[in-house]
Amino acid sequence: MQFGGFGGFVTSALIAGAILWSFATTDVELSRLVSAGPRIADFLGRMFPPDPTVMAEIRKGSAETLRIAILGSLGAVILSIPLAILASETMVSPAVFRPIRTLLAFIRAIPLILVAMLMVGAVGLGPLPGIIAVAFHATGMLAKFYAEAIDGVSRAPIAALESAGAGPLVRLRYAIWPQMAPVVARDTIFRFELNLRESLILGIVGAGGIGFYIQTYVRSFQYDKAASVTMAVVAMVIAIEAINVALRRRFT
Amino acid sequence: MNIAIRINDLNFAHPGGSVPALERVSLTISTGESVALLGPSGAGKTTLLALLDGRLQGWRGRVSVLGAPLDPDQPPPRASRPDTGFVFQEFALVERSTVLRNVLNGRLGRMAPLRALLGSPTPHDLDIARTALTDCGIADLAERRVDSLSGGQRQRVAIARCLAQEPRLILADEPVSNLDPTRAGEVLALLTGAAQARGATALFSSHQPDLARRFAQRIIGMRDGRIAFDVPTSELNDDATAELYREVEPLPGLSLRAVS
Ligand SMILES: Nc1ncnc2c1ncn2[C@@H]1O[C@H](COP(=O)(O)OP(=O)(O)OP(=O)(O)O)[C@@H](O)[C@H]1O
Ligand SMILES: [Mg+2]
Repeated sequence: MQFGGFGGFVTSALIAGAILWSFATTDVELSRLVSAGPRIADFLGRMFPPDPTVMAEIRKGSAETLRIAILGSLGAVILSIPLAILASETMVSPAVFRPIRTLLAFIRAIPLILVAMLMVGAVGLGPLPGIIAVAFHATGMLAKFYAEAIDGVSRAPIAALESAGAGPLVRLRYAIWPQMAPVVARDTIFRFELNLRESLILGIVGAGGIGFYIQTYVRSFQYDKAASVTMAVVAMVIAIEAINVALRRRFT
Repeated sequence: MNIAIRINDLNFAHPGGSVPALERVSLTISTGESVALLGPSGAGKTTLLALLDGRLQGWRGRVSVLGAPLDPDQPPPRASRPDTGFVFQEFALVERSTVLRNVLNGRLGRMAPLRALLGSPTPHDLDIARTALTDCGIADLAERRVDSLSGGQRQRVAIARCLAQEPRLILADEPVSNLDPTRAGEVLALLTGAAQARGATALFSSHQPDLARRFAQRIIGMRDGRIAFDVPTSELNDDATAELYREVEPLPGLSLRAVS
């Protein structure tokens, strides 16, 4: 990006203004940060050594997070199949795909943690609201990706099947699906990775999984246990990343 | 019924096309005939074939195919579409599917809709697909994926798919343009032979007058959307062919357009 001329000046002034406004209106006392030094050191100190006795909780929490991510992803895939067809420019008329695309954009705009909080309110604590929240939130992205995959395939084989007398769903199955399958596999794995990462913290709002233990231990000042769980979460994110890199290599 | 195609005063311009793609076209083709369509690029061959396949709307005139009039504003009913088979210029195969699957795709319009959707061909469908593969000399390629085939092999798959459809009219758009002369002769022999063996009518376009002469009983020359000549093969003379492919004199304000 180039900053030059009057436009550049206006952009710089706006950015500077936004930063100054944030400082001026927020209760940020730098002195407090300095004086808090020893307290932060104490806090970090109490996290060490991490308490290894919470292995059972970590195992239980991770398994639940994994289940939330798997079932939430499954729900998102199931919801995304019909929605993707209805959001596709090439399968339905603009009167159908325009509102459906808008709906998907709205769904994407709602943060997962917010959906999870609402679901906890609606169905109570536990993994169920987490699963519903992941399925709902992920559908916003996955249905859009699937619709783009439908619209991205070569048209000629579809016309050939139509010429042979095949109906729209049959054409979807035999001319569109074989072409889009690798894209769908890649998008689904990508979304599953996001679901797994994002559901690690769902427990904080009571929607199940390993996040529940972090929240419990922090609230009860058991920082050494919280540290163990946090390390487990970091290890899981790294593992997810590594598995995903390996999978992605297979699909390209 | 002994008339396969009847066209009266057909006019058509592509949406957004500046010049008519078909102008005052009239012709009649009898059942069982093998007819070649010759003409330079942009003559309207693909347009005429696609229109007969029911894929173009918004034309004027009267057209009937296999005894049923085409509606100028609507695609033909789905039930009638398998009767007209089409071999596409660029094959239009599903690249990531196997050869057998592609050939079975030609059967989809003949299957009950639910059976087609669930992908369970009857033994009868499989039998017809395998026969089409054998007739096209590619039985040994059945399980190969199309994206691993050569151009000539793909051409045969495209023809096998068309034959598996059991069409009564075969429309083929430059079915040998991607092949070397020997293969081209083999494939046209296959196409016209299969049509004859099935009592089907064949109309194919080509840029190769010598091949058209060998495999068609009748030759229609097209230029600028009009029929330039329509003669039995024995009466085709070289002058008419040369005239058909004569260099276009560039008219002011009219540029040659790229043809898909
Ligand atoms: N989709 C389209 N939109 C607009 N004009 C088109 C379209 N397709 C073809 N045309 C025009 O219609 C005319 C006839 O084209 P057509 O493809 O039928 O010719 P052709 O005889 O099949 O040529 P070729 O031998 O190159 O395949 C040309 O002027 C072409 O530019
Ligand atoms: Mg053409």
